[in-house]
Amino acid sequence: MSALIDARTIPNGTVLTPDIAIVGGGPAGISLALALADSKLDVVLLESGGTNFDPRIQKMYAGAEAGVHYTPLDAGRLRFLGGSTNHWGGFCRPLDGIDFEVRDWVPHSGWPFGRSEIEPYFARAQSLCEAGPWLYDAAGNAVTDQGAPLALGNGGIYTSWFQFSKTQGSVLPTYFGHRYAGDLNRAKQLKPLLHANVTAIRLALDGGRVDRLDAATLTGNHFTVKPRCTVLAAGAMENARLMLASNDVMTPGIGNQNDLVGRFFADHPIPRDVGTLVLFSGAIAPFYSNNISLPNGAILRAVFSPTAEFARARNVVGSLTTVEQPAQLDATGIAAVVTTAEALGVDASGAKAFSLGCGMELKPDPERRLTLTSERDALGMPRLKLAMRIADSDFALYRQTLAELGRQLLAAKTGMLRLNLSHREEWLSKMDWGNHHLGTTRMSTDARSGVVDADCKVHGIGNLYVAGSSVFPTYGSSNPTMNLVALTLRLADHLRKVMA
Amino acid sequence: MTTRRNIMAGAAGGLALLGGALWRFTDLFVKHYPPTPYDDVLARLIDRERAARLGAAALRGMPGFDADRAAARLRSAFATGGLSVAATIDVVNGRMLEADGWLLPQSVALLSALAAKA
Repeated sequence: MSALIDARTIPNGTVLTPDIAIVGGGPAGISLALALADSKLDVVLLESGGTNFDPRIQKMYAGAEAGVHYTPLDAGRLRFLGGSTNHWGGFCRPLDGIDFEVRDWVPHSGWPFGRSEIEPYFARAQSLCEAGPWLYDAAGNAVTDQGAPLALGNGGIYTSWFQFSKTQGSVLPTYFGHRYAGDLNRAKQLKPLLHANVTAIRLALDGGRVDRLDAATLTGNHFTVKPRCTVLAAGAMENARLMLASNDVMTPGIGNQNDLVGRFFADHPIPRDVGTLVLFSGAIAPFYSNNISLPNGAILRAVFSPTAEFARARNVVGSLTTVEQPAQLDATGIAAVVTTAEALGVDASGAKAFSLGCGMELKPDPERRLTLTSERDALGMPRLKLAMRIADSDFALYRQTLAELGRQLLAAKTGMLRLNLSHREEWLSKMDWGNHHLGTTRMSTDARSGVVDADCKVHGIGNLYVAGSSVFPTYGSSNPTMNLVALTLRLADHLRKVMA
Repeated sequence: MTTRRNIMAGAAGGLALLGGALWRFTDLFVKHYPPTPYDDVLARLIDRERAARLGAAALRGMPGFDADRAAARLRSAFATGGLSVAATIDVVNGRMLEADGWLLPQSVALLSALAAKA
């Protein structure tokens, strides 16, 4: 029987020799460890933090930023067991099929496989996220007693659905660390180490394999892990940091022979109040602006999403538009509503207005990147610097999508819409971020365009894998957690095969 | 008696004339607009004052606005139906214009802009 082990109690100089070392105890690392729990493989899970927030440990995430204002690097993620699920919102939605495709209007797009490759893992991922029965785009049939989806005219936007990780005490979604600590404890072949920081990946001299991992605690203990196979599951920032900093054999950094590690960083911008939705009748089903719970355990919220056909026709990328709080109209807004409703022959005497929010996909950008600085953390690891960028075209593409929603509302005589943001400064003034770190060890079958291959194995390194959303080559607009868990479960199946 | 009846009738007639004059020559009861070459299309508006407010916003996004061309386009659009039909056809065909960010059918935006110009 294993138990959570405090690495500060491991004697200096200890050498652990598991079959697999998982670096990072967030949703990817925990999902992978649990998926391998019934194998005969000895697994060590190395988590830098403990079971709760510790500011000294969190400080190791601090870094520098340049470019577009972004969440401080030690604020948008959490460094203890469960990782960033310790502050996630529980939003779940599978990536769309088009998110995996090579799209000629999206440079650097295309996964090595289609959505069908991870679909078999969605159900288990959904279960690990405790997001209830799989409904998503069939959810409309499950909520007919709560109202109808908004009538939209023919066009490129449809009502899609989020599901949510189960709330705990009616407030918080599933925190993977708290929720699965017991399961990690019970897994016989698993050794979960807390306060265990991997400070270097040491390659064999030929550079083709990982020989060992250097590990340390903040109390000064140093030990070594010599696994047959290593999986980095520390998030898109730390995965890149560790690979770039481990440069004693491969001087550009591990897997960085083509200068790709740390590039293509992405997140989902979530600018606020992007539009004002007016419904002529004033009526809107509650599932647009609130999460609703069904007796079967599903928690749902409706959003507006572009269809694949619209994306292809108009060369847009993914986005999800949400209905937020009620809004007030100024005199011009009232004039717009009255004049338009009269023109359409619609009664707008009971019209109501709502603010719209969104989550946008960014096009991949190699210059949006993480690099190492000369600053060091408490264990001597170089700190990161993020060069954050967002293109005007990213805003413009989403604005096109929102305009299509406005057109369809008018076509159905349901309502109308104001595009609240036009200029870059307006967008940036309303900017917030999902803190969904993506893309820094992107996946491609070709080592010249990706850090890992279709099996999530680092190109050129025989026994080093990466789990998590850092391997996403394009990002979609869906929140990544459930998707990265599905991809991680697929990796677990692969490891079972190759390690048998 | 005859004199009182005459006075009453005269007063009533005077009031009617006054009311008519106020109705016709002041904006007390109804807004009056100077005649324009586009009154035939502006007549499609129910609330011309609000349309003018919206139109002022629309004009800010149409620096080269040509009222005669806009009126001609609207007359052509109204030839097969009313404003409702024209607006619906605009929307279906994606002919949309913005006024202060509000997405409008082209015919509504042009008509409002004309109202602002008048």
